Amino acid sequence: MSFASPIAASVIAWAAAVLGGLAVFAYVLKMRRRRFEVPFSTLWQRVLREKEATSLWKRLKRLLSLLLTLFVLGLLLLAAAEPRLGGEERDARNVVVLLDASASMKARDGGERDGRERTRMAAAVDEVRAVLDGMGAGDAAMVMRMDGQTTPLSRFETDMPRLEKLVEGVEASDTPADLRRALGAAADALRGRPNPMIVLVGDGAYDAEAMASVTWKAPGPAPAAKAPTAPTAAGAAAAAPAGKRLDAIDLSGIDVRYHPVGSTGENVGIISFNARRYATDKTSYEVYIEVQNFGTRPARRRLVLYNGDLATDARTLELHPGERLRQIYSRGGGEDSVLRASLEIEAAPGQAAGPARRDAFPLDDQAWALLPARRKQRVLLVTRDNLYLEGAMLVYDNIEVDKLVPEEFDRQVAARTLPEYAAVVLDDVTPAAVPPPPTNLLYFNPSGDASPFRVKGTLSAPHITEVNEGHPVMRWLVMNDVNFDSSSIFELDRDRGEVALASSVRSPIIAARRTPDRKVVACAFSLTGTDLMLRVAFPLFLVNVLDWFASDEADLLTTYATGTRARVPLDGVVGVSEVTVTAPGGRETRAPLVDGQATFYAAEVGIHTLRARERTAGAAPGRVLAEVQLAANLSSATESAIAPARQLTLGGVALAAPDDAGISHRRPIWLYLVLAAVLLLCAEWLTFNRRITI
Amino acid sequence: MPKPARAAPDTDELGAAAAARARGSRVDDDRTRLFDESFLKKLEYLSVVARKTFAGRLRADRRTKKVGSGIEFADHRRYASGDDFRYIDWNVYGRIDRLLLRLFEEEEDLHIYILIDASRSMRIGSPLKLHYAMQVAAALTYIGLGNLDRVGIIPFSDVLHESMPPSRGKRRIFKVFEFLRAVEVGGLTQLGSCMDTFVHRVKRRGLAVLISDFYDPRGFEEGINELRYNKFEPFVLQVFDQREANPALHGDLTLVDCETGELKEVTVSRSLLDAYKAEHDRYCAELNQFCTARAIPYFRTHTQVPFDELVLRIFRQGGFLR
Repeated sequence: MSFASPIAASVIAWAAAVLGGLAVFAYVLKMRRRRFEVPFSTLWQRVLREKEATSLWKRLKRLLSLLLTLFVLGLLLLAAAEPRLGGEERDARNVVVLLDASASMKARDGGERDGRERTRMAAAVDEVRAVLDGMGAGDAAMVMRMDGQTTPLSRFETDMPRLEKLVEGVEASDTPADLRRALGAAADALRGRPNPMIVLVGDGAYDAEAMASVTWKAPGPAPAAKAPTAPTAAGAAAAAPAGKRLDAIDLSGIDVRYHPVGSTGENVGIISFNARRYATDKTSYEVYIEVQNFGTRPARRRLVLYNGDLATDARTLELHPGERLRQIYSRGGGEDSVLRASLEIEAAPGQAAGPARRDAFPLDDQAWALLPARRKQRVLLVTRDNLYLEGAMLVYDNIEVDKLVPEEFDRQVAARTLPEYAAVVLDDVTPAAVPPPPTNLLYFNPSGDASPFRVKGTLSAPHITEVNEGHPVMRWLVMNDVNFDSSSIFELDRDRGEVALASSVRSPIIAARRTPDRKVVACAFSLTGTDLMLRVAFPLFLVNVLDWFASDEADLLTTYATGTRARVPLDGVVGVSEVTVTAPGGRETRAPLVDGQATFYAAEVGIHTLRARERTAGAAPGRVLAEVQLAANLSSATESAIAPARQLTLGGVALAAPDDAGISHRRPIWLYLVLAAVLLLCAEWLTFNRRITI
Repeated sequence: MPKPARAAPDTDELGAAAAARARGSRVDDDRTRLFDESFLKKLEYLSVVARKTFAGRLRADRRTKKVGSGIEFADHRRYASGDDFRYIDWNVYGRIDRLLLRLFEEEEDLHIYILIDASRSMRIGSPLKLHYAMQVAAALTYIGLGNLDRVGIIPFSDVLHESMPPSRGKRRIFKVFEFLRAVEVGGLTQLGSCMDTFVHRVKRRGLAVLISDFYDPRGFEEGINELRYNKFEPFVLQVFDQREANPALHGDLTLVDCETGELKEVTVSRSLLDAYKAEHDRYCAELNQFCTARAIPYFRTHTQVPFDELVLRIFRQGGFLR
């Protein structure tokens, strides 16, 4: 017998002493009889003389009453100590239970309970509870939730019922499992603790590289040596790679166990979905979709593509076991909308569709992508004559270009007769007055006080040494070999949202600024003094600038994978340190915003909205400075391959099941002790009221 | 004689005493309203009933066996020197040649002695047995006074307390009330010694109404016999409280005798209660049998019976006054 009570033995001993003392005190009080005055005790004496023969039995009954009280008290205290029967004697363990809560745990193959279908997550929670329930008296356990992140749910505790209660509320997320991070966290938590053990409860849908990165190297008294199937130091040494990996996770000396959950591997899922507009023809877009059958049987699915709520394409896919199908759709005329791909089970000809043909893992049957708005911009070119510039702008189909000489531009601006343009390109002119926002501005060689960026000097024959490749304007550009006669140098004010796009030894010569109402790009050099116009980069630079002006950045077309951390540019947002992320389910979280880049982590598939708001003093939300929508998909072949791994191999060593781990399965008997105490009390009550034990 | 030590403060008592104890007060021995107006009305009613019952009799015509100057022949006895020659029966002398004296039953006023038990055991019950006994005593006294008898009241316990000398006339009833209100309570019940003192102290024999619970550890026989042997006419009235006869007790108790202070530890069970009840009934039956065998009027009542009902019952059964 062992005791698994969270109450310390000393506390129970104290309680026994105090309560036992109280019981004896109560007994003594009971012995101090109530006094009752009678008028004629002679009559009582006559009666009692006849009853004298039974006095010994009465005394015995009284003693029995005390003994019964002490016995009931003992039973209750024993129940509080939570004794358990059976099990082997062994040293206490420190166990980290890694509970897989990744996307694949949402697969609906966890069996049935009460006639309702269960997910793998529910089955895993039950398994964890069983593992915790089987812990020995001195075992301490910590539960960690493993998905894209690793979240400890508790400290090392011996209160198993509390841990079981914590585990009950765990739900799977939409993110892939990061096994490497979870194992590393578990190993860190177990460092320095005796008899360490990791119990991994999951479906084995983990990254192969993460599993291979585990090392077992330290010899010595590995606790796993007690179990023949557990990873041993010798076996680990044989399986360990010869070279030392810097990112290896060292699990030496830790007894790692694996408990698989799940039953089916039949799944067809979308593992990639993306859409983009053609760079040369913004009126059209193309969609890329990748579908794979992860099952062992041929599958038939209907792939439907929606633009908003409108189905724009539907086709039937016949997929062989393991087949991966890549589809590219060229579409035209798409408006600003949300694209959605959906996989639906389609019955084979002559086969009836029914509930049994439901997809076991519906999470990867849907994928989203965002299609930005198509805009054709009116652009005004202000120049005296620049053939290369005019020619480069004419190449771009998505703009309509007008041209004015500087004097006429000044006159029309002053007279406010200038039509509204989306962008104005100012070539070698720096007018004192420019069109009001939201007209965006592109300057070449600005000068004087009207320069959008303060000019602090001049460089002779500069070379571009640094390019801000993260900025949409500088995407795909190579400018290292561009020659300049001379160039001005800008002095940038980061507080105003001014960023350098290209610099010559830290001296900005191309800069950009985004304010809530307009964007400005300025090149500090004159196009007449550089060979940039002869480079491929020049028209590309113009296209990038005009796309940025039109918010057609290609980055926003990209769909994000759940469980990964991405930096989303929100340039032009100044003085704000965090953004609000609204998940598809409506839940709002906050994400940091640093240097115009918001850190985005999607734990849910669907469309997320990032909003940067002006900071206000009160509780009222400020004005929206920038708002970006992002699509997040599972996009993980590892997670979509839901076939549970019956055996898991970490670092070349197969893990044993926790049944062999020596975690004793012991039957708690406290309930029976309490029942016995209650029965005794009932018997005492009954006999007292029947005047038997009175 | 020293009084027995009082019981411990946490000692319970039966009846009103127990209830009063539960309220945190002492025994309610308030006698101010014992003889109120309603009591007087009841007395008057009893007096009328008594008159009807004894109608046709002369006043002060109770006959005694005392040989005296009566007119009704009672007996003969031998002549002794010094006897009055006038009472020698010469006819008998002529027939049998012996001097015999003729004796006559003397007619005189009846003396009634109300003997009230004022021991500590009478302070138990609801109402107190003592109060009940006082009311009965007052009623009998009133009836006696109304019949022009001489009625005296003698409280007793282990000794005779201060008594009210025999007096006659209804007007004395208020003196009786005052006396009863002032009666001191305490001491053991010792019927034998008290009756012995009584018969030696009182020269005029008469009716001795003994009102008591008869809870005397030495027995009731000695006291009653003392009266009988000294030519008193005993009249026995036993008063008890219902909860004395059938107490509602259970569990482990220490019984305290309210008179002697004697302690007895008992575990009261249903069988013990039944045995006690049977023992109490047997004790009362012994008293009844003792009185009946000796032609002594005996009445037994508990305190829940109204006193006037008891008095009427006594009248109906021909007791008290013949």
